[in-house]
Amino acid sequence: MSGRKKVTGAVAMAASASLALAACGGGTGGPQTGGESKLSNDKVIIGLLNDQSGVYKDLSGPNSAVAIQMAIDDYKAKYGNDAVAKTIEIVQADHQNKPDVANTKAQEMYDRQNADIILDVPTSSAALAVATQAKAKKKLFIDIGAATTALTGASCNKYTFHWAYDTYMLAHGTGAATVKNGGKTWSIVYPDYAFGQDMNKSFTTAVEGAGGKIVQSIPTPFPNDNFSTFITKAAADNPDVVGIMAAGGDLINFVKQYNQAGMQDKATLAVGLMFITDIHSLGVEQFSGTQFTDAWYWNFDDENRKWADRFTEKTKTRPSFAHAGNYSAALQYLEAVQAAGTDAADAVVAKLEGKKVNDVFLRNGEIRAADHRVLHDSYLAKVKTKDQVKEDWDYQEILTTIPAAEAFGPVSDACKM
Amino acid sequence: MSAFIQYTLQGLAAGGFYAVSALGLAVIFGVLGVVNFSHGAVYMLGAVLAAVLLAELNVNFWLALVIVPIIMFGFGVLMERALVRWLLQLDPLYNFLLTFGLTLVLVEAVKQRYGVSGLPYQIPPGLGGQVTVGSVGLPTYAIFACLFSVVVCVAVGLLLTRTRIGMIVRAATEAPERTRALGINVGRWVTPVFGFGIALAGLAGVLAAPSRAITAEMGSNFVIILFAVVVIGGLGSILGAVVAGFLVGLVEAYGVAYAPAYAQIVIFIMMALVILVRPAGLFGREEIA
Amino acid sequence: MTDQQLTARTDVDLAQPSILSRRSPWRYVLLLAGLAVLVLLPYQIYPPVAMDILCWGLFAISIDLLLGFTGLLSFGHAAFWGGSAYATGIIAIKTGVPFPLAVLGGAVFAMVIAVPIGYLSVRRTGIYFAMVTLAFAQMLFFIVNQWRSLTGGENGLQNIPKNFFGVEAVETDSFYFYYAGAGVILVGILIAWRVVNSPFGRVLTAIRDNPARARALGYDVERYKIVAFVISAGLAGLAGGVFSISHSFASLQEVGWTTSGKVVLITVLGGIGTLWGGLVGAGVVVYLEDYLASAGISGIAMITGAIFVLIVLLFRHGIWGTARNLVREQVIERRNRPHR
Repeated sequence: MSGRKKVTGAVAMAASASLALAACGGGTGGPQTGGESKLSNDKVIIGLLNDQSGVYKDLSGPNSAVAIQMAIDDYKAKYGNDAVAKTIEIVQADHQNKPDVANTKAQEMYDRQNADIILDVPTSSAALAVATQAKAKKKLFIDIGAATTALTGASCNKYTFHWAYDTYMLAHGTGAATVKNGGKTWSIVYPDYAFGQDMNKSFTTAVEGAGGKIVQSIPTPFPNDNFSTFITKAAADNPDVVGIMAAGGDLINFVKQYNQAGMQDKATLAVGLMFITDIHSLGVEQFSGTQFTDAWYWNFDDENRKWADRFTEKTKTRPSFAHAGNYSAALQYLEAVQAAGTDAADAVVAKLEGKKVNDVFLRNGEIRAADHRVLHDSYLAKVKTKDQVKEDWDYQEILTTIPAAEAFGPVSDACKM
Repeated sequence: MSAFIQYTLQGLAAGGFYAVSALGLAVIFGVLGVVNFSHGAVYMLGAVLAAVLLAELNVNFWLALVIVPIIMFGFGVLMERALVRWLLQLDPLYNFLLTFGLTLVLVEAVKQRYGVSGLPYQIPPGLGGQVTVGSVGLPTYAIFACLFSVVVCVAVGLLLTRTRIGMIVRAATEAPERTRALGINVGRWVTPVFGFGIALAGLAGVLAAPSRAITAEMGSNFVIILFAVVVIGGLGSILGAVVAGFLVGLVEAYGVAYAPAYAQIVIFIMMALVILVRPAGLFGREEIA
Repeated sequence: MTDQQLTARTDVDLAQPSILSRRSPWRYVLLLAGLAVLVLLPYQIYPPVAMDILCWGLFAISIDLLLGFTGLLSFGHAAFWGGSAYATGIIAIKTGVPFPLAVLGGAVFAMVIAVPIGYLSVRRTGIYFAMVTLAFAQMLFFIVNQWRSLTGGENGLQNIPKNFFGVEAVETDSFYFYYAGAGVILVGILIAWRVVNSPFGRVLTAIRDNPARARALGYDVERYKIVAFVISAGLAGLAGGVFSISHSFASLQEVGWTTSGKVVLITVLGGIGTLWGGLVGAGVVVYLEDYLASAGISGIAMITGAIFVLIVLLFRHGIWGTARNLVREQVIERRNRPHR
């Protein structure tokens, strides 16, 4: 059987050769360094990593690239020939809301495409993966789309910023404000995974802190499309408020079945995490009267409306908070690059930390240095009834503005930069 | 107690969607020997069609209940003629994989065309709200869905027991060799039966449309549960598929109500137990090892 | 319909002895060509993607071991690939051992859970076997999802370290890591090759073709199937472990049924019963997905789905299988040509 032995031998040799080759190591390779120019690769490359084909495609998706381009245009218009970043490119990728894909794509964007910063990344698990990559590659990451407070908690790092909203903001906005408006007793329905559990805890704290009472906390499987049994459970004991912590498709399922069960008249529906695109997809009648906290609303005032009109001209649709958030993050990043004179990560971070910002998205904004949480005003919104809607996407009535100082939580002990 | 009644009703309503779809799957497996992985995608297509017809052509729910299955029948015939029939002589593995690949195409095509945020579909007027029986409030639509599914299953059952084609289908399902030995040309019924099975899945989709989110992915987990249903009921048993469909719907509802952390797994444990203890399923024929 | 069909050969050539004689020089040419591709791959393809190709290739080989050589379609192999991905990651995070050891630990974990799963599953054949394996894989998915404190649940297992005896180039640069990982994968391929070309492998093909006869000849069919199943699980575990180290990440996707489906399709694409086809299939699928994604094309799943449909319809023997059949025809024709 010498033939077989030969083959075995050859393969074994190859295997050991591979291992030996690897063990030798050495040689050139690895990421290229900046060299002479102040900008790496002589340009600034902005990476947009989000969901371009899944549930959050309309919320953020490819239109966020349009928003980022608006920021680039505004930056160039402002600085003209003095702009530090003369060439700015956008690269995009779809992470499909999967943390493993986000992990791979982030690595590719930083390594293969030489992105200097990654923006957006909805879905908390994906955001955490990208934060890890940002830390490993020592490049910036500004998250706009994800909710988890872990980004400024246990997973915080020097290169990661949390720009728009988080579970604390949602809970203390919706929770506290709804209690103040008379919703004292609550039944919370939450999907039984990290995000849902996080929201359940945050809302419980917020509601009880405002003087309300949680009558029941009902976990549901995730994902799930049949909520009828949970709605029945929640309706028992007749609470003032039913708080639902599901998001995306599950939320839509829930609301459909909630209304089917005739609950719209029996209790106020408070939604933990909701976006204008959810209202658009299910139809305003199904959500009428529902209260939720929004990071930004296009029709809130003239400044927002003007920006929204610019956006609508290019995309034929109204912007969500994510589009505005991406615009703001890109703009402030470029301003920081301008101030630092380079796109080297550490220098840019130094310019961002502690900065007070007021732009179309961030009102009374501040980039907190301790944990890179961005504070800004947020809004308690109520969904209009069909008659109140005057134009497309005009779904929200802003009940109160929650000032920046109250909207977000204190610096977490878990964050060690 | 009233909660229990509500859970039961909701379980039966969900079970109805499973039962009607599983009926289609079982019939297809029975007559063609094809394990149709795309059954979930077809269910999704039924729901999407209902939504699109409503939005574009103002076809209301009741009309959709008739039109969509007819369209899906045509789609099923097309599927069988163009794709499935070439592999019927081979190992069921190949058609299984073919339909798996087809599922990927269908789901992605819907995603590309209609996005993923879901299509709106309101409960048809007249079926909304609740019916109060004593102290228990039962969603009207759930009652309707449950009853309608039962009617469909009974109708199909009658079709299978009282008509000639039905007899052929049953014979081909339960004793294929003997049927052919008797000179019955099963072959010519293959295409319409396949179409019929697909139409049933589409019908289940229309039924589900008012109460579920209509998304491109709505069939993906549905088809895995369907497999569990058909295995529990007995692959190749038509009665088994129906009974198991309602049973799984109930188990899911109770599981979700009383032990939500384990709800997803109970169905699979049931399936594994059935396979290990009584592989032919509750109603299936004995497997020829 | 009985499920005899899955084990009966309705196609002519699943796994037959190679048409090339043992001493034929062509075997070595092919082998060297394959090794050359292996060594040069990361120069041509972004190294993490090249690593993925090898991992999925070994995963497909493990499926083929069961499907092409034993006649068992497992639709739940993600339990072993993914289970090992998590086990390897947890070992790497908690103990910091060099990654080949962590991967070995993952593979052992996969084999350990394969014993009860295999024991229970092999009592059934054909489509029932596929369903049972699917059920068990879903159960593992559930456990992984629920045991959040250990696995991270939805967030996945993040920040898995790449330790390799302190060699910094391997630990930080994916280009060098590829060679280290390839070494481990090659060991797996070697094992698969040895199993198939051994008396044990012959018994497996006998069981595949006619289990009743094998039993009549005195072979304990169930025992052989279980052993084959466990070996296959170990190889899938080896591949999954390298995968998770390479990505520094293990996610629920790795234990999901779509992963089980994808690897079966890769195996079919490469060619059932060819063993090496798995590597070719993985190369095509992984590269294609990467290429399309980088090109910014949306709807990639439509393209891969359509390709799968076409392959199943028209090229059932897969790429390697079709190529091999063509070569075989040529060789047979030449042999049968009358000598002058």
